[in-house]
Amino acid sequence: MSKHPLLTGGRGERHLLLGNEAIVRGALEAGVSLISCYPGTPSSEVPDTFRKLGSDRYALEYSVNEKVAMEVAAGAALAGAMALATMKHVGVNVAADPLFTAAYIGLPGGLVLLSADDPGCHASQNEQDNRHYARAASLPCFEPASPAEAKEMTREAFRMARELQQPVMLRTTTRVNHMRGPVEFGELATDRSLVPFERNPGRFVAVPATARSRHRALTAAMRKAREFADSSRFNTEHGDPSVRTGVIVSGVSRNYLADALATGGWAGRVRVLELGMTWPLPERTLKDFLSSCDRVLVLEEGDPLLESGVRELAQRYQCAVRVEGKDELLTEQGEYSTTLLLRRLAQYLDCPCPTLSSAAPAAEGLPNRPPNLCAGCSHRAVYYAVRQVFGDDAYYSNDIGCYTLGVLPPLRAADFLVCMGASLSAGSGFARVSGKPVVAFIGDSTFFHSGMTGLANALFNRHDLMVVILDNGTTAMTGHQPNPGMAQEALGDTALHLDIEAIVRGMGVTRFARVKAFNLKGVMAALEEMKNEKGVRVLLAEEPCALYARRQFKKGATQVAEVKEQGEEALRCLDTLACPAFYRDGDNLAVDESLCSGCMVCLQVAPRAFKARKRG
Amino acid sequence: MSESTQKRMRIYFTGVGGQGTLTATTLLSRAAMDAGLDVVAGEVHGMAQRGGVVESVLLLGGWCAPRLDPGEADVILGFEPLETLRGLSYLRPGGAVFSSSDPLPPVSAALGQAMYPDVREIEEKVRASAGLCRFLPCRELGLRAGSVQSGNTVLVAAACASGALPIGADALEAAIRKHLPAKLQEVNLKALALGVEAAGA
Repeated sequence: MSKHPLLTGGRGERHLLLGNEAIVRGALEAGVSLISCYPGTPSSEVPDTFRKLGSDRYALEYSVNEKVAMEVAAGAALAGAMALATMKHVGVNVAADPLFTAAYIGLPGGLVLLSADDPGCHASQNEQDNRHYARAASLPCFEPASPAEAKEMTREAFRMARELQQPVMLRTTTRVNHMRGPVEFGELATDRSLVPFERNPGRFVAVPATARSRHRALTAAMRKAREFADSSRFNTEHGDPSVRTGVIVSGVSRNYLADALATGGWAGRVRVLELGMTWPLPERTLKDFLSSCDRVLVLEEGDPLLESGVRELAQRYQCAVRVEGKDELLTEQGEYSTTLLLRRLAQYLDCPCPTLSSAAPAAEGLPNRPPNLCAGCSHRAVYYAVRQVFGDDAYYSNDIGCYTLGVLPPLRAADFLVCMGASLSAGSGFARVSGKPVVAFIGDSTFFHSGMTGLANALFNRHDLMVVILDNGTTAMTGHQPNPGMAQEALGDTALHLDIEAIVRGMGVTRFARVKAFNLKGVMAALEEMKNEKGVRVLLAEEPCALYARRQFKKGATQVAEVKEQGEEALRCLDTLACPAFYRDGDNLAVDESLCSGCMVCLQVAPRAFKARKRG
Repeated sequence: MSESTQKRMRIYFTGVGGQGTLTATTLLSRAAMDAGLDVVAGEVHGMAQRGGVVESVLLLGGWCAPRLDPGEADVILGFEPLETLRGLSYLRPGGAVFSSSDPLPPVSAALGQAMYPDVREIEEKVRASAGLCRFLPCRELGLRAGSVQSGNTVLVAAACASGALPIGADALEAAIRKHLPAKLQEVNLKALALGVEAAGA
């Protein structure tokens, strides 16, 4: 067992932690017994840290998707354990069905849902604001602004979840998940005993009659939660009480506000109400604050949720206060920043904004550096083959993972992408009305997440679809987390490998081929054969993720590609394959040996241009 | 959000995914925390780490916001010259820049679809804008210390030794001994010595 300070550190110790590591410590201090998750940036380091710690104090599972993760956690909390379910914001969409009804029946052990939102779309397909879910599903909600708070709020969220027997949301944003700061440890939980489950179908079996009475119970629990919010130590007011110019602020914006007030020297000119427990709204606290202000400015990233609540309360209690919030500066899009709040506060306080100048203007015309498929990535080989066979006639339905990067030229392997698992189902719909060939690309982890249902549907409804499963044996994009497709030797004895071919054939797919992704001839031959057929066809292309193979299996490159003949063929390979190990040296092509992984796909694309050489 | 009497400073790190930018940020953060400074570091993980630009920040002395706007950084640590230039607008007037002079061309430049700027021109542009400017052959010095990755430690050590940071080379040395795995210490201590030497040169 690990001797990591997160697992062994005692009360009063201070460590520099990532926000996500602080959440782990908070859960351990609370007494968590089960963690379920589906990995997704910016949430992934929470389960990954639990995995690294490898303690027998808790059960950890990488579920196949967020709905399942939520249900497993809910089951554990029904059985009386403290359970933590972690996911990124869009994952909560997948988990929404069990989430809403779990709140109705209530969970005696206590469930905390980590919703890791991503304002600014650093690694996401949208920037939805999941505080809406707290309101829609009736979940008390905490929003930390620092690692220290992330730990404290996780602990408090568990305490509340068990007391109310209701799920509680810990809502973070990317900057907080990935912020590092000092965290003072509290006592680790020693008592992780279960709340005994007492059979009570009138409560726990959500049929209509139960649901009606449980809706009333939920409303009562949220009334109690409102009391908690009003007395929460995470909701604090500071500033001169005689100042009647107010600011109400929540989440990560509290950091930008603190720095803006320090830069402007304006701390004495405003009274600030900082909210850390943000749902239910602390109604009494807000009423008192609004009653003692002439004006308030509400600062929150995302949608104007706090602002709407403040406006509603001001109206209900007839407070003579002017409420300001979202406008042309403080928009619903992206992230806030210190400079943005400085400008807005200068307007609000009607004073000059400190001039901020840079040492240099933003540099223009520099070559961009978008993320890219790695050298030796098997996805590049498969995309190349598919484009050779299908060309521009077909439409390419893509999915979520590293392989999404195939959208970039020259591979251009994505015409549309919606969400996890949609490659098969959206591809089915597209093919049906367009009458065009559609190739759906999906990775192994995404296939298990929600591609299997799309495949079943495509078969059931007799869609015409060429499915290419890009199986690299791991969940690569988010940091090589396990999934059912991972090799048994890598999974160890806590999880069972599932065979994708057996699943696909078991569902009823008859047109199937299993190929090695780096065997270009084999991939292309299989595609050629299935290209003009009707119905659902599946190509399973296998090759471990190059990074993963190197780290997990210590498989280094045994050979390297060398240019043996410069000329048209070499340059065509450079243009069509665009491996990051290639570079142009004048009119010639060269291979960076330190990057080449020895996949030898280039040798198959341009046999005259390359030869393989053993690494010495 | 406690008030602090320490000198406030913002350091902006930039590099290329896979280079070790975040590891360097964490090492300097730990050194600062062990030295008793208020520390907040901000990172962005995920998709960018596949060969994209990786930025991070280290805030000392009481700053809270883990995201910088142009003009807010007192110091830039650039682990790749093109990224140093791209990040230069984050520097406040009179700020300090420490950068590697070894290019890692992005794919577009490697494939000949875009031009990688001349490194001497990058250096001149940075020198004209910054109060203090140091370009070091981090790749070569790192290799001399024992690994390419330790080139990051060379750069961080040079910044510490220059006096531009409130963390000295001795504090960085202590952090290497305390926080890095034993097998990496020797290489990084060598890299530190090379960085200190380069700062004095």
